[in-house]
Amino acid sequence: MSNTTRIMAHVIPWYPDRAQSMDAVRGLVDAGVSYLEVQFPFSDPTADGPAIQAACSDALEAGFTVADGFAFLDEIRTITDTPVFLMSYASLIYRPGVQAFVARAREHGVAGLIVPDLPPDYDEGLYDACRDAGIACVPVLVATSADARVDLALSTKPEYVYVALRTGTTGSRTELGALNMGFLEKIGASGTKIFAGFGIQDAGQVQALAPHCEAAVVGSAFVRTIAAASGSGVYEAVKARAESLLDAK
Amino acid sequence: MKQLYNDFFGEFGGRYVAEVLRSPLDELESAFVDALSDEAFMREFHRLLASYVGRPTPLLHAENVTRDVGGAQIYIKLEGLAATGAHKINNALGQALLARRMGKPRIIAETGAGQHGVATAAVCAKLGLQCRVYMGEVDMRRQKPNVFWMEMYGAEVVPVTSGARTLKDAVNEAMRDWSANFADTHYLLGSALGPSPFPDMVREFQSVIGTEVVSQLSALGVRPTTLVTCVGGGSNAMGFFSPYIHETEPELIGVEAGGRGPAQGDHAARMNGLGTPGIVQGYRSLFLLDDDGQVMPTHSVSAGLDYPGVGPQLAHLGQTGRVRFERATDSEALEGLQYFARKEGVIFALESAHAGMVAIRRAKELTPDEAVVINMSGRGDKDLFITARELDAERWKEFLTREAASL
Repeated sequence: MSNTTRIMAHVIPWYPDRAQSMDAVRGLVDAGVSYLEVQFPFSDPTADGPAIQAACSDALEAGFTVADGFAFLDEIRTITDTPVFLMSYASLIYRPGVQAFVARAREHGVAGLIVPDLPPDYDEGLYDACRDAGIACVPVLVATSADARVDLALSTKPEYVYVALRTGTTGSRTELGALNMGFLEKIGASGTKIFAGFGIQDAGQVQALAPHCEAAVVGSAFVRTIAAASGSGVYEAVKARAESLLDAK
Repeated sequence: MKQLYNDFFGEFGGRYVAEVLRSPLDELESAFVDALSDEAFMREFHRLLASYVGRPTPLLHAENVTRDVGGAQIYIKLEGLAATGAHKINNALGQALLARRMGKPRIIAETGAGQHGVATAAVCAKLGLQCRVYMGEVDMRRQKPNVFWMEMYGAEVVPVTSGARTLKDAVNEAMRDWSANFADTHYLLGSALGPSPFPDMVREFQSVIGTEVVSQLSALGVRPTTLVTCVGGGSNAMGFFSPYIHETEPELIGVEAGGRGPAQGDHAARMNGLGTPGIVQGYRSLFLLDDDGQVMPTHSVSAGLDYPGVGPQLAHLGQTGRVRFERATDSEALEGLQYFARKEGVIFALESAHAGMVAIRRAKELTPDEAVVINMSGRGDKDLFITARELDAERWKEFLTREAASL
């Protein structure tokens, strides 16, 4: 079964600094993750938990700019073909203009955008801009989303849907209960591919999710690994962590 | 023209939130619209506004200041005489009643200066609701007495250590709590901003200020030329201005925090070209952003004005020209505080003192048959530790040292 488990690994450029964040990417790629979710840090990330928010603050203090973020994506392209999804918040997308941001993301080889605070009915034209640019716009749903919200997200005919498994924000241990599984089945039935995440900590969770989604998203767990290994071998630590998550028995 | 729920005000407003917050906001929107058209609910709100908050708050003819300035008649709406010392309690009471009606026993709130936190804590005690207040660590330090009072009312005050550790970070933290706990929790947002329906709801609960001003002025036979108030997020301004925003008169002036000056990071003024259209904390408005869209640091001597975004309806009213925006600096606010205390026997909150100074400036340009009304949104007791340090540092230090030594 282990060859069917797939991970979307979340990474924050410039956390804890530029070089080590690229080391983390290398570790993830060498461990064999299937997708990269690169989060451009925003000063006020309301949909993130404390671990990721603190990492974003550190990255901004280390000097991260959006231009640096795109340069980081270029560097990723030189080492891997692993599809990269760019996650950020409305402020960063809206500031230069949604179309301009989407065009820039496309130029830098991004497979898709994930912007939790630009849902389909308050999207500032993001979904159309992505469609025109030929990149995926990935709606984010939660297991408690009302049917009308699910229908709205699916009406954008998304290639991928990002499902936040538990109510709340990232970083706490998630129970993969009946509600979550039922929700994944419902979304999966539409034919869209699912990235399922929030709070995944161990291989058992990845394994349990495997039949229900395209990839399990792992974020906070890597942030903690990077924090612990900062200055003493981020590459090795992240690679080992990713391998342990993929190596489900 | 006038409607309860707008969502957008011109290009500003909206509900730009992650999906997890959609159902609680959708639920809140219908509960709010429903409650405001329910006579029994409104009767209960007004009963408590009178007996618990102490409304109506007086409208004072500031005769000494008027004489001294030598221009228009100056009136002060003494909103700071409401229970807990500021206008904040109007909205806190309205939303807490709404939460109770929605069957939500737990209230969370953010606070900057602490006034909204104190008002929320008090109202929760009165209505028997559980209360947790998020407050930036920086604000907790500069408004320690308010932390003490919130705890006295039985609220739990949680320090926020992320980001700039001020109001905006407290909002982030409260939104996070709400995301996880909306089933039994109402987020009692204190300003006329955030995702819809908050801007509409806060305006409606604060509109009692403007409604009273209209009848108080009319009882005096006064037609106002100009209304002046301070603008942080915009809750007192929207309440004060609300009866007039669809009219062409009187002139409406909002006063922002000019801080130490117009350099980046030294002030909290978003209007008159200093702010940029953006989407932050769930709504589209004018914010202090850098070229990447990151929220920039702000400064004001008054914690209540120290916030990087302005409420969407005010941003819109600024754009249409219905509300004119000016700035007062930290030192002007301190000057205003002393001036009104000595001349009129009224101690303004530092936030409101910003408006006081601009009102004086404007009154000088007008004639004695005209009238300027200032909303003193809060009284200044809460600022003791800031103003004493700013105005009487030596003796204040001596006092504090002695007090600390005696503990």
